Amino acid sequence: MEELLNISPIHASILVVLLPFVAFLIQAIRGKKSNSGNISLIAITLSTLLSGIFVFAEVWNYLPMHSTYDWFRIGEKTFTIGILLNNLTVLMLFIVCIVALPVHIYSRAYMKGDPGLHRYWMYLSLFCFAMLGLCISKNILVSYIFWELVGFASYLLIGFWFTKESAVQANKKAFLINRIGDLGFLIGIAAVFTSFGTLDLVELFGKEGLIYSEFDKDSGLMTLAGLGFFLGAMAKSAQFPLHIWLPDAMEGPTSVSSLIHAATMVAAGVFLLCTIFPLFNDTVLLLITIIGTITATLAAYFAAGQYDIKRVLAFSTISQLGYMMAAVGIGAWDAALFHLATHAFFKCLLFLCAGAVIHEIAHAKTIAGLDFDPQDLRNMGGLRKYMPKTFVLMSIASLALAGFPLTSGFLSKDAIVIATFEWAFHKGGAYFIVPILLVLVSIITAFYIGRLIFKAFMGESRLPEPAESNIHEAPKQMLYPMYFLAICSLFFVFSINPISYHQAGILSGFSVNYTFKEIHSLHLFIPLTLTATALISWIIGYRWYVLNKYPLNAESGWIKAETNQLGINDFINNTIVKVTLIISRASVWLDKYIVEGLVNSASKGTLYLSKIATLLDRHLVDGFVMAIRNLTIGLSRVAAWWDKHIVDGIVNTIAGLAYYLGHLLRWVQNGRIQNYLGFAFTIVLIGILYLILR
Amino acid sequence: MITLTHFLVVSACIFSIGLYTVLAKRNAIMILVGIELMINAAILNFVAFGRYDKINYSGQVFALFAIVLAAASVAVGLAIILNVYRHYKTINPDQITDLRD
Amino acid sequence: MGLLSLLIFLPLAATLLILLLPANLQKSYRYIALGITLTQFFIAGSLYLQFDQSAAGINTVEGYQFVEQIPWIRLSLGSLGQLEIDYFLGVDGVSLPLLLLCAFVMLMAVGASWNTSKSPKGYFALIMLLNMAVMGIFTALDFFLFYIFYEVMLLPLYFLIGIWGGANREYAAIKFFIYTLFGSVFMLLIIVGLYFSVINPETGAHTFNMLHMMNPDNYVDGSFFAYLNNYNEVLGIPARMIGFIVLFIAFAIKIPIVPLHTWLPDAHVEAPTPVSIILAGILLKIGGYGIIRVCYSIFPDMTVDANWWLGLIGIISILYGALNALAQTDLKRLIAYSSVSHMGFVLLGLASMTAEGMAGAVFQMISHGFLSAALFFLVGVIYDRVHDRYIYNFRGLASLMPAYTGFVAVAFFASLGLPGFSAFIGEAFVIIGTFNAESVGTGIPRWMAIAGSLGILLSAVYFLWTLQRMFFGQTRVKGGEEWLTALKDVTIRERIVLFPTLALALLLGVMPSLVFDTLNSSVLNLVSLLSPYF
Repeated sequence: MEELLNISPIHASILVVLLPFVAFLIQAIRGKKSNSGNISLIAITLSTLLSGIFVFAEVWNYLPMHSTYDWFRIGEKTFTIGILLNNLTVLMLFIVCIVALPVHIYSRAYMKGDPGLHRYWMYLSLFCFAMLGLCISKNILVSYIFWELVGFASYLLIGFWFTKESAVQANKKAFLINRIGDLGFLIGIAAVFTSFGTLDLVELFGKEGLIYSEFDKDSGLMTLAGLGFFLGAMAKSAQFPLHIWLPDAMEGPTSVSSLIHAATMVAAGVFLLCTIFPLFNDTVLLLITIIGTITATLAAYFAAGQYDIKRVLAFSTISQLGYMMAAVGIGAWDAALFHLATHAFFKCLLFLCAGAVIHEIAHAKTIAGLDFDPQDLRNMGGLRKYMPKTFVLMSIASLALAGFPLTSGFLSKDAIVIATFEWAFHKGGAYFIVPILLVLVSIITAFYIGRLIFKAFMGESRLPEPAESNIHEAPKQMLYPMYFLAICSLFFVFSINPISYHQAGILSGFSVNYTFKEIHSLHLFIPLTLTATALISWIIGYRWYVLNKYPLNAESGWIKAETNQLGINDFINNTIVKVTLIISRASVWLDKYIVEGLVNSASKGTLYLSKIATLLDRHLVDGFVMAIRNLTIGLSRVAAWWDKHIVDGIVNTIAGLAYYLGHLLRWVQNGRIQNYLGFAFTIVLIGILYLILR
Repeated sequence: MITLTHFLVVSACIFSIGLYTVLAKRNAIMILVGIELMINAAILNFVAFGRYDKINYSGQVFALFAIVLAAASVAVGLAIILNVYRHYKTINPDQITDLRD
Repeated sequence: MGLLSLLIFLPLAATLLILLLPANLQKSYRYIALGITLTQFFIAGSLYLQFDQSAAGINTVEGYQFVEQIPWIRLSLGSLGQLEIDYFLGVDGVSLPLLLLCAFVMLMAVGASWNTSKSPKGYFALIMLLNMAVMGIFTALDFFLFYIFYEVMLLPLYFLIGIWGGANREYAAIKFFIYTLFGSVFMLLIIVGLYFSVINPETGAHTFNMLHMMNPDNYVDGSFFAYLNNYNEVLGIPARMIGFIVLFIAFAIKIPIVPLHTWLPDAHVEAPTPVSIILAGILLKIGGYGIIRVCYSIFPDMTVDANWWLGLIGIISILYGALNALAQTDLKRLIAYSSVSHMGFVLLGLASMTAEGMAGAVFQMISHGFLSAALFFLVGVIYDRVHDRYIYNFRGLASLMPAYTGFVAVAFFASLGLPGFSAFIGEAFVIIGTFNAESVGTGIPRWMAIAGSLGILLSAVYFLWTLQRMFFGQTRVKGGEEWLTALKDVTIRERIVLFPTLALALLLGVMPSLVFDTLNSSVLNLVSLLSPYF
């Protein structure tokens, strides 16, 4: 027994990763069985226990450990599979487990009765395997493998209802945009391999994963590597302008959205950047900050205009990921990780609550035999009366998202905003745009999440009468995981002190050398400002949406805001185009196309002015993708034509020529004996003439 | 004085006529006649050159030999033509195209 | 008789046996073919297990294993000296994995031709003849012998496409034949030129031995292809460069490269499924193998001069093939073009001349060998049922044929380079090796690696698009009720063929060392052969 309990963290972590994989295999082999959920549940429960007791508790704030196994040798280079356990990786491992477990329990009730249930559990286990493997992998190449597998699992889960056209479109889009990022990742790997001859994280950065090696960080190759890795992170963490896949990914089951597209997979980009942080030079870091800030701002703005409850949350996720990216960019990657951890819990909870609401409304809809969109906020309202527990839980999560005191979000968001202010003071000048924008985002965040709560739970019900009476609280199996997550959204899980983030355990686990000084006055001023503005925005929201004193009857106010946003949008697109060109030296046509797409979008811009933010986002950014697709198709048609007519044509011409010559000679052999004789004599005659005239 | 050249000219004329007949006529018998003419042109040459061999008279001997041969070939040729005629009901070589591709 | 000879002559014996058996025993032909290919597979497998992985191969006879060398033709040519042609076989780390692949794909092809009803006698006899020829190509070390096998291979393929093919089969067969012959005829000229430039150091006679051709010391000073004192030029191009280019074109047609690829889509579309499998699985690899064995090893100096162009051709093939595949509406054509794109990676990897790039290229050949075979087999499955492969005629097949969709999805994702499958290892290391080339100084710039990686993206685009168009959504097929009943899920026989193939893709993706361990010393030796000329 003693032996059994003394399992080493390395072995325990291997088990943690492999258990879901075994579950996946068993379900794949067993095929369609109704009770397949049990296997996944058991696997993830064991994984959670192991990762908590034997890995996290053992390694956190103790010595990091790692272990390496040879995988294969190519030429003279050996590639390894390794496990790296340090504060960063075990934290991530634990978070993934602890979020995945409630989602699994929740799914049992949420997905009950779906005909493809066994596939759901299979894919979910595959996802857990890939995500957990990504967390503790020591070799970047192996990380890449898990990275793509995570994307693959997400592809399968988004397209879970594969007969639904929109779901299939969405999963294709998600995979392809992730593939763009993967290529960046691959180029990054190639650049690291060329520079250092190894892909082992410990060999690269030392055991802690933090030590700066001696190398020329500012060389073009390292910039390329940094940009490559960042491109990967951009796609996975849905950063502007590659964020377009995430709102569409909401086509998958809500439980999947909560686990994959809110808490874990999308955070993998942030995690990757933290892992290889020492590689980045100032150019890349600045770019990360810029992109993160832009994403945070735009996504928050878009979120305020959504009517689909899941899309509000999706844009909110993008916005929060932008926060984390910005924090990584300024060098405060510990703050980013802290926010990643807190965000994982409350965003997962938000999705689960939204799922509960959708589940109940859809259920009521089926009973009443009506047809309306169960996810549309305009159909909700007054749900507080029917689902009081869900309402309380969702309010807690919303407060955490808005960064209200006593919640975890308050701590982590303050950590990021204060760090950005300090960074901006250190740098001065135009760098102040970043913290100011982040504060603005914080206000909009409070506003849009307030709007969601007010529209869905307060005021009068807008549901059709027969459906309304059928709505009741979600089943217990769904509520318990939500309680757990709600507790994890409060401050005491992360820090004893509810107002200052300095006591937060996660932050003290990482020793980050800030390049900028701490400014004490900010630590009082910023939290106060954020809380006050959040309160004000809620009051406004309450007046607008609950008391129906909506002041923006005239469309002009919105239009003005839209106009400004569009200006920024175009500008951002321009910079992205330039950066992308530097990153990948993309083929000429691509370049030409995006520039052209900009022109197109500018001309269509006037049309978009009158539409709400949703349409703006969909048409502008999606339009690019569609147009790129069309151009690609067009080009390939031209290529096919060229192939058929020109390349083939040359071949056919040669063949025709040979045939014509042959035909000419064939005429001599006409089978008439007299002609043969005549030809023979002619030849003889020519010969004689030649002999004579010679 | 009739020199060797005269013989050769006559023989060449006969040969050319024979050749023309063989190439141009659409009647197997006429072709056979043409062949005979060509053979006779050759025989004439034999005889003409025979005067340079006064000991063995090999020219004359060969001429006799060739005449016999020509007679035999005419016999065989006519027999073939007769059979061809029975089979195809024609002796125009252009219409006998069974071996053509 | 050595094991390699056994590998070559077993199928020949099968050909004779099939030809001798009377037609009322025609059910037995396929069992003979299956038995022979199975035996071959086990022989090749046992060779693979016995292989000493430290043997360096490439240019020394000591590096080869299972060598058989018997004097075959000895003819005194008077003043031209003695004609020396050997029956000379051997395998090294490059050819052995390909040989095993060959045996495997042949097994698959026999499995795919199980229900052939049109004159099975000729069909199986030709398949076995083809089998013999390809086995010979991968083992021959005498250039003359190599050439013979190379030409013998054409004949059965011509008839297999021309007789058992689809509607436009004669056109496709002729096109294929002429393309390949075009390459090999000029190859013969170079072979003769090489013969007169090289002497066997032991006997002093001219020789066709490829290993002697790889040693610069064996060249006669001042001869046409000599390294030293070579002033021979054709149209202002050095003679050795001409030799390299001509041989390269001969093999490049097989690979195929853009713009010499137009035979491939036609041949694939018209060929019956098993022949498509052999074409994609083996024939294309002969091109890559020939470039390594002949162009790279005999003309290393010229290879290094030309490799920028090789890389460029690789890039063009990758992108052009992928773009073409995207525009196709015939599923088989799409896969044919994807082959062009994937084989472009092989050329790019070879051009990089780094150990990672070249090992990646050979790995990519092997991986593409059975993955493309599986893809063609999958197309065959649907074509067998409804005789249609037009993408837009199918929709939502996932609800109708779930197991088939599963196989297709796995094959598609494996082909588009999902990690865990073999194609990923091949493509990733081609990209990494190419990226590394600039540091090593082989003259391949980094942008080629980035451009090549775009090909990976495009392959995801066309495969996923196809998956979405054909398999997802609501079920709707062109043929209505009739098709719905005809479209049965995969049978046991089809599962038996598909499952090992895809399992192998997974196995090699997880344990690439199975191939790399065999490959490494040969690839390193090849790099050291090339590196003096960097």
